[in-house]
Amino acid sequence: MKLVVKIGGSILKNGAPDLNLIDDLKSVFSENRLVLVHGGGDEVTAVASRMGKKQVFVMSPRGFRSRYTDKETLDIYVMVMAGRISKEIVSTLLRFGLPAVGISGVDGGLLRAERKRKLIIIDERGRKRAIPGGYTGKIVEVNAGLLNMLLDSGFLPVVSPLALGMEYEILNVDGDRAASYVAGALKADRLILLTDVEGLILDGELRREVSASQVEDRLSKIGPGMITKVYAALEALKMGVGEVLISSGLAEKPVTSALKGRIGTRIYRG
Amino acid sequence: MYTVKIVECPECGGEIKIPDDVLEGEIFSCPDCGMEYEVYINDGEITLKPAEVEGEDWGE
Repeated sequence: MKLVVKIGGSILKNGAPDLNLIDDLKSVFSENRLVLVHGGGDEVTAVASRMGKKQVFVMSPRGFRSRYTDKETLDIYVMVMAGRISKEIVSTLLRFGLPAVGISGVDGGLLRAERKRKLIIIDERGRKRAIPGGYTGKIVEVNAGLLNMLLDSGFLPVVSPLALGMEYEILNVDGDRAASYVAGALKADRLILLTDVEGLILDGELRREVSASQVEDRLSKIGPGMITKVYAALEALKMGVGEVLISSGLAEKPVTSALKGRIGTRIYRG
Repeated sequence: MYTVKIVECPECGGEIKIPDDVLEGEIFSCPDCGMEYEVYINDGEITLKPAEVEGEDWGE
């Protein structure tokens, strides 16, 4: 099978996956074509804070909470994501025998994005307002050939969520959406979004299986932490990905358990 | 006292109420046609231009 696994920043320990996850990735990698995409937004915030750069978060009318990426924040974002976190993950995986290659969305034009001109936010007075878009973008193209070349050569690509803009500027893109577009471009059988919660909770109940249309009907009831994952899942299904699994990366053998349906939420087309 | 200024909707001529504490970039909808507009302020003069709609995937 072709698998794309997004490793959320919340399940990384000191910037790297823990032994339980690494062991499972080894087992999964031996039988599948695997691409990893990592997150790490909290680490970006922590480093920015140590550097004296306060991070500003904005809320969209539909409840998406996002970092406001000005030029200084972008510089820190690139340094932390494509630098410290990527290298920590890759060196850890290599130490345990996985042939990992770190590649950001900028390298080889892996992820191309259109820069956002404006963001519409709900401001501190609760009113809708347009602000300059900063250095964020919407992914429009994935260089699947580059990933397939690495996979064909036996490597395990580890993708950092940056993108190259149409004017060759570096952009911050959401990790869940990056994973979704990568999975879509590869026509992956499964996209697995690993996070620090058990799965999708609707009406106070953990859902083990839910169709795309059932989720679409309840988007307004999903909180800011989960909503980007749900949108990423819906986009992936529309791009031809077989199924999307949202599951805990802290569980025993998290990827295998999610694939076997023992844990997490399975979102399927329909 | 809270006051509003009435601005005509460029699309349908409806009345859009703009509060006096409006900030550049604020978005208002026409109550008649539903069209959304962004506020531009130049020397205290308010003009409305159709709001650009962008997706909400704004980065990590």
